[in-house]
Amino acid sequence: MAMNRRNFLKVSAGASGSLMVSITLPGCAGIQTGYESDTGEWRPDAWLELTADDEVFFTLARVEMGQGTYTGLTTLIAEELEIQPERITPRFAPVAPEYRNPLYKLQLTGGSTSVATSWEPLRTAGAEARQMLVMAAARVWNVEATECRASEGRVVHPNGIDSMAYGQLVELAAKEVLRGDIALKPQSEWKYIGKQRGKLDARAKSTGTAVYGIDVDLPDMVYGVVSRPPRSGGRVRDFNADQVRAMTGVLDVFEIERGVAVVADKYWRARKAQDALKIDWDFSDAVSLSTGDVFDSYRAAADDDPGESERSEGSFASAMEEGDRVVEAEYAQPYLAHATLEPMNATAWYREDGMEVWAPTQAPDLGRIAAARVTNLGPDDITINTTFLGGGFGRRLTQDYIEEAAAVAYRVGRPVKVIWSREEDTRHDLYRPAMLHRMKASLSGAELTGWHHQIVGPQILDWYVRNAAPAQYPWAPKFMYDTLGSVGLMAEGIATPKDFSAIEGAIEYPYRVSNVDIRHTHTDPGIPITWWRSVGFSHNGFAVETFMDELAHEAGEDPYQFRRRLIGHEPRHLEVLDRVVRLADWQSPVPEGRARGLALFRSFGTYVAQVVEAGIENGAIRVYKVTCSVDCGQVVNPRIVEDQIEGGILFGLTAALYGEITLENGEVQQSNFHDYPLMRQYERPEVLVDIVASSESPTGVGEPGVPPVIPALGNALFALNGKRQRSLPLRANA
Amino acid sequence: MAVSLTVNGDERSLNIEGDTPLLWVLRDELGLKGTKFGCGAGLCGACTVHLNGQPVRSCSTPVEMAAGGDVVTIEGLGEGSRLHALQDAWIEHGVPQCGYCQSGQIMSAAHLLASNPAPSREEIVAAMTGNLCRCGTYSRIIAAVESVVADTSDGAQGGGA
Repeated sequence: MAMNRRNFLKVSAGASGSLMVSITLPGCAGIQTGYESDTGEWRPDAWLELTADDEVFFTLARVEMGQGTYTGLTTLIAEELEIQPERITPRFAPVAPEYRNPLYKLQLTGGSTSVATSWEPLRTAGAEARQMLVMAAARVWNVEATECRASEGRVVHPNGIDSMAYGQLVELAAKEVLRGDIALKPQSEWKYIGKQRGKLDARAKSTGTAVYGIDVDLPDMVYGVVSRPPRSGGRVRDFNADQVRAMTGVLDVFEIERGVAVVADKYWRARKAQDALKIDWDFSDAVSLSTGDVFDSYRAAADDDPGESERSEGSFASAMEEGDRVVEAEYAQPYLAHATLEPMNATAWYREDGMEVWAPTQAPDLGRIAAARVTNLGPDDITINTTFLGGGFGRRLTQDYIEEAAAVAYRVGRPVKVIWSREEDTRHDLYRPAMLHRMKASLSGAELTGWHHQIVGPQILDWYVRNAAPAQYPWAPKFMYDTLGSVGLMAEGIATPKDFSAIEGAIEYPYRVSNVDIRHTHTDPGIPITWWRSVGFSHNGFAVETFMDELAHEAGEDPYQFRRRLIGHEPRHLEVLDRVVRLADWQSPVPEGRARGLALFRSFGTYVAQVVEAGIENGAIRVYKVTCSVDCGQVVNPRIVEDQIEGGILFGLTAALYGEITLENGEVQQSNFHDYPLMRQYERPEVLVDIVASSESPTGVGEPGVPPVIPALGNALFALNGKRQRSLPLRANA
Repeated sequence: MAVSLTVNGDERSLNIEGDTPLLWVLRDELGLKGTKFGCGAGLCGACTVHLNGQPVRSCSTPVEMAAGGDVVTIEGLGEGSRLHALQDAWIEHGVPQCGYCQSGQIMSAAHLLASNPAPSREEIVAAMTGNLCRCGTYSRIIAAVESVVADTSDGAQGGGA
């Protein structure tokens, strides 16, 4: 099934009748290409710049947040350009229509799409530039271009001896005109793709020289901190501005839409002043829920509304009548924070000619909208400079932290860096939504005859559309922003693609069952939410693959054999399942006090099967080993694939073992790593990642490692002690 | 207050409130941005530097406690243009993902090897447990540290902290 979640809002609006925008032109000037004689720079396209000094620059439009685009995408363009990736200098892209992610029509990095969406365009860009260089050299030598070849940044003469560096050819190459399509190299001729090579950013990141958002330094820069309402929806009534303004180093204290900002000449002075800040909050419109209320509201909604049908085959009702038994279970998952190690931050500078922002962001075009909202500037007046990101995981798709920095800088008029504390980062995150799942299955003997899955909870687009819709139409006047947002929502699934965030991973249920009924009961308790590494797959994976395990036991069958019997029609699922079972030696006896659990799950086009070996030691769950087989199509950099899958496994285990954001009367109860822990070095299981050799197009690897490890661990614990855990995080004493 | 300290071999003097964490002095007063802010509470290790040869959490170390002391940060770990052996190993093994925690990881590892040139796997894991990595680079960290240990015990030159 085609997964185009987050592929939203390509509407040319107009669905409500109130807004008739029919032009789909990009909203800002494109990237200038061609040759600059003054500087000796040749830009054959939006990505490459080659100079007479023999330098090669590559504009990286998918931000680097640890997932490896810096190396991976550079490798793609290097392969066809015929130059070593190490000789290319990547640069982070400005906002421009050329750099939009074609799946989302927004300039965003997410959804494990970077390699898949760059695979053709970047190799083509590299091939075209290389061809023009070859043609230029052939013209100089007066030989046929087809007789020349390019290698390691040079064009080689047919005699095999003479050669010219690309830098010598840029001016001439810029004059060449390509005719027809340039054929891409076959897999057998690849020098860099699929080969074991280093990471291009490893040196900067091992010497402390990589610049993250928090490292941005500007002349005359000051520091801002923001006190936000402890309950979402709270408003400032009053605060002791005069007292705080008198403190050492404090330049200003003022209200912004999101709270009260303190600006000082030094960060620590801003923090100390913030400690003295006393704010009288108005909570009349604020969230007052506690975590229990959220799940109560979900259960009430589920009882009240069977939900919108998202997939229906056969008749689940008849299957229940005809089967000899029905199995039912309810699963629940908590809110989760992202906990990027680099806390939210952004630096902004408002000048007469506009605003410049430096930020670690996954969506710089949305950042411009966020900054435009709180200033009198339009998106084109705002420049976003993207830095390295100290983790993203979806958190940096939402631009609240840029909005704040822009609001503060707009008032201060000099460069301001706004840094969130860890406590603020945890309490004012937008969370992976808490979700509830009601599962039912009918069996006849050992045969699974019906599958029913009711997903209960919010969907993320409702929270995201506010900036996403205007970002697609940056020329739209600001008074239309909210309209664009509501049009996007109203038209969802009609004029705009559907939001799959709640149901992805559930609707693709892959096992062969005749009667399938999958529904979503849409209910939103009003707690801010956003994308979180693997998004809907993260909760649906747990529900689907745990329930499959329950059914295997109900059918009296080995969980591997049970799945295998029902997945024979899906060769790529079957392959990873068989491989992982073989590698983990599934049938062999487990050491005393340990047990194994299995899960099989496809997300972002990538097939993953995992076996977890776990036990309980000194009253705590201990994960000993995770074996993982993955099919992600062709591999650009094997080391990065291993890293991403292993990283996803540890991310999933952190959620399974510890992840839980709770609310008490609307206030988030967690604050820092003592009460929102991350897996530490000593808890790390042995992880084995097995990559299936493939000639299929590449699919994502940043997220697919996450979903299956959570049910695989829960299933292992059931195998260990016979206690089925249906809510997260998992407990040793369940 | 006036505070003097040695940072990466250079004498530095500044006038600053004594309760300012060493982290912000290094980053904002001295321009050494390689040391990172992660939690402000000594829980994540991203801000790890060496103070008088000991690893400390600079986010929770008031600068007055470092007065007169000798501080080494990631920028001063190598010798001149030569990187510390651990940094070379980090590059060779491609340890970093987002990379934000890695300065702190390397500083913790460097202290371990300076005090125990041939640690066991268990000793490495114990020494590195105070440094969080959200991306999950833990296994490559162990491999990189072990490669330096192996090189050193083979008689090759290992960098000292």
